Amino acid sequence: MKTIPLEAFLVVSMILFGLGVIGIAARRNLVTILMSLELALNAVNIALVGADYYLGSVHGQIFALFIIALAATEAAVGLGIIIAIFRLKRVESSDEIRELRG
Amino acid sequence: MGKVLIFGFFSFLAIASGLGIILLRNPIYVVVALLSSLIAVAGIFFVAGAELVGALQLLIYAVAIAVFYIIAISAVPWEKAKKSESHYRFEGLVSLPIVLFLYAEMILVFMLGVKASPEGKFRAFIEKLGNTEVIGAILFSKYFLAFEMVSLVLLIGMIGAVLIGRKESQTYEDDST
Repeated sequence: MKTIPLEAFLVVSMILFGLGVIGIAARRNLVTILMSLELALNAVNIALVGADYYLGSVHGQIFALFIIALAATEAAVGLGIIIAIFRLKRVESSDEIRELRG
Repeated sequence: MGKVLIFGFFSFLAIASGLGIILLRNPIYVVVALLSSLIAVAGIFFVAGAELVGALQLLIYAVAIAVFYIIAISAVPWEKAKKSESHYRFEGLVSLPIVLFLYAEMILVFMLGVKASPEGKFRAFIEKLGNTEVIGAILFSKYFLAFEMVSLVLLIGMIGAVLIGRKESQTYEDDST
């Protein structure tokens, strides 16, 4: 029944998570930083679903559902914050934000 | 064998789109790469037999969140923003040791052979009832409190997004120009 090994899921998940971390740290545009964050969250979902496929259980898929719901919230709040920063300071890049005061 | 081929195709597509997310310059192209990556990940979920998570990935991620990003990119006048000369920062190279450490840890775990034996507690139920029914039964019994908490978090997030993203009074607009 099992044809795909668990290691394949974990390798794909780890590579995608590493790409997401590099994107978060190395990009300047705020919107693309959020998109890299979505990629990293998706990589975690791959690991959870792969572990479920190996173990024959469904608990990881339930946690994947929770992660999807929280990612939707995170996208909404994050984009709201980015648009508010744009209205306040007229910047789109993360290294222009140097001051803590509005 | 066919499953392995389909899994390889979808994972190759996901990793190639992930490279596109961190390498492309235009934000619209990055959104398209993100969409392609999300659809490939949904394909991986379908191969792994997680139909409910795959369908919700397509519905929530690939439709709602991607369209949300496209609206945020196209409705805000980004051309009025101060442009920086480069799309990347070289301080980001600091993240490279962390990523390499993660990869080294994964290789170490594979070498050591830490593994959990498959119990297969729900496998008979999954084959009899289908994936969605088993997930629903466990989600609404064992994880019911967490489910309600997620609904509360979604409500708070919606209120916060509306409050943060709404148009303020004129003072901020005048200050910034």
